[in-house]
Amino acid sequence: MEHHYTVRLEPLGKQIRVQAGTPLKDILFPYGVEFPCGGKGLCGGCRVKVLQGSVSLDEEHKRALEKLGLKDPWRLACRSRVTGDVTLEIGQFDTFILADSSPFHFHPRPGYGIAFDLGTTTLVAQLVSLESGEVVAVETEVNPQARYGGDVISRIEYAVLQQGADELTRLIREKFAAMTGRLLRKTGGTPPEKILIAGNTVMHHLFCGRDLAPMASYPFETPHGDACRFTAEELGLPADHTEILFLPVLGSFVGGDILAGIVATGLDESEDPVILVDLGTNGEIVVGNRDRILCASTAAGPAFEGTNIHMGMRATTGAISSVTVEGGEIKTHVIGNEKARGICGSGLIDAIAVFLDTGQIDAGGRITGDRERLPLTQEVFLTQKDVRELQLAKSAIASGLHILMDRLGYGPQDISNVYVSGAFGTFINLTNTARIGLLDFPEEKIIKMGNTALLGTKMLLFEDGERVDRILRKTAHLSLESNPRFQDIFADNMMFMP
Amino acid sequence: MEDILEKLTIAVKRGKADKNSPYPPDMKGQEGADELTAEALKMGFTAEEVLQKALVKGMHLIGEDFSAGKAFVPEMLMAAKAMKAAMKHIEPFFKSGSVKQKGTVILGTVQGDLHDIGKNLLGMMVEGAGWKVVDLGADTPFEKFKGALEEHPGAIVGMSALLTTTMVNMKGITEKIKAMNPDTIVMVGGAPLSQEFCDQIGADFYSPDPQGATEFLDGLVQSS
Repeated sequence: MEHHYTVRLEPLGKQIRVQAGTPLKDILFPYGVEFPCGGKGLCGGCRVKVLQGSVSLDEEHKRALEKLGLKDPWRLACRSRVTGDVTLEIGQFDTFILADSSPFHFHPRPGYGIAFDLGTTTLVAQLVSLESGEVVAVETEVNPQARYGGDVISRIEYAVLQQGADELTRLIREKFAAMTGRLLRKTGGTPPEKILIAGNTVMHHLFCGRDLAPMASYPFETPHGDACRFTAEELGLPADHTEILFLPVLGSFVGGDILAGIVATGLDESEDPVILVDLGTNGEIVVGNRDRILCASTAAGPAFEGTNIHMGMRATTGAISSVTVEGGEIKTHVIGNEKARGICGSGLIDAIAVFLDTGQIDAGGRITGDRERLPLTQEVFLTQKDVRELQLAKSAIASGLHILMDRLGYGPQDISNVYVSGAFGTFINLTNTARIGLLDFPEEKIIKMGNTALLGTKMLLFEDGERVDRILRKTAHLSLESNPRFQDIFADNMMFMP
Repeated sequence: MEDILEKLTIAVKRGKADKNSPYPPDMKGQEGADELTAEALKMGFTAEEVLQKALVKGMHLIGEDFSAGKAFVPEMLMAAKAMKAAMKHIEPFFKSGSVKQKGTVILGTVQGDLHDIGKNLLGMMVEGAGWKVVDLGADTPFEKFKGALEEHPGAIVGMSALLTTTMVNMKGITEKIKAMNPDTIVMVGGAPLSQEFCDQIGADFYSPDPQGATEFLDGLVQSS
């Protein structure tokens, strides 16, 4: 009989029952907690305060805390496991600049702001004190439109071909109003100064009630991508002076969430060229610096999110999230410390890297020998088709980067940093990401940023509209498929070069 | 004697275009499809024999591997390059009429869609099976299919799409093609498609992979 313990999370007010030994990282991740250094115990970004109960401490953990100048009752979530009933306060929500080492000059102002990340799958909203920069409250929900399809293409299909646009707009606005309403209970009746919403192009159009037909077919360019302003009444909120703005689209499928990512990473103010990659279904990529920015979406498909993979699943309890080889034997880490039910994107990348090293997959992606399955645990295995899906996804991203960098005249050595955003990016093993040719850059250049859409939107709460305008002026969108060499580049990048 | 056709079959299947091509690494320095085809013709094999006994066979083998998941897009594209190198030598015989092609297939990625790798893979397989391929490219409206059909009466039409939002455009195009001539055969394919969708829009054939389509086409020749 396994032991279960109760974990209470503040300021979220959430209570969860988990198995003994569950890593805190697995518990906190779904609540939008970010692990800026990738869970190596280096940055302190995931620190938690033990309010009640205890979290045991090993030597390594103790040294990591000392280095960061943290004492009891602080712990690093990435180094901790649940060893008893415990109440934790998430430190991250106090300091809202995470991975950016450059100081953020924010000018305190009275009142509150709300940053809204309106994702295709999940919605996250944070209530922020504009005076202190603190996150006062957080709301997360599943996008209610998801029942009409998991990805943006199926949303477009429902909106345009099945005349479901009004329904999708109604659903998302209702959910927005409900989440905002709950956040506002925490302000003691003060209406917020500003609500900023970031989302991809399709989410933008559906929220703002714009016609999605241009996004249904070539050339996938929309004339309706500008920033969209609302009054509180229009969105079903109590009437007041609140400024409500949906961030503008950068071009084609690349939306305001990526614009916020540019802000979060400081790409638009960097002297050296940097890259931002969102490892999601649309696989948006941005390359540039303070002078010029190019962006593209890469149709990576949902493989990184575990979809179209035979035993694939999202990064939730029961998913194999990492794979290693120890003494010739395959070891897996399962989220939630439970029995493996499937594999998520980060586990898939690890598994492929491991099988490449053991020679069970060749450089062309073929499973060697006469096997049809490559087992990871007794129940979970990879199929030949899974390897093919991953090849398509990784080549889409790698080819996109190749084309954008080429257009700007950059080689890999010119790039100072590669920022990886998206929920999936947080868990990935960078050595393996390079091994399979997804992000072939030196590890020290890659920075995992977690949810850059939310972070950037939060940062924009403290700025006037100038920065967004500057970014729009210097950013161009590039259609990758129209490159005459696309097919060859795409085929080349599908290989697993040693 | 037959040896050279076997070598050529392997060169096509493995994607060895010519002696100088670095791919595949383990065939470095060996003669490729280009040289082997020239040699075979010089040795007295007819263009028909070279086509049927080596090129078609090589493409069939790579197509089978693709269907089974053993080969993938890069290998297919390399095989296509090898076949193209061989076809340079065979094409004059098509023009002179000494080698008959099985018929003409008009291919296009459907209007509104830009993704044409799938269509290109099909094109090379069909060409490799001995058909004349007229490739209309991506974002192909009905008018282009119409023009090509007028130029090549009796041709078979193949359409592909990668997105659920663009595959619906196949319906209108198929209807218009059938209105021109109800006997024109329309094949459809692409990741989001299914047999059900094919039936719904009144197309004649659907296959999840290019191998299935070439087999369907060859079946048409045998039954006629």
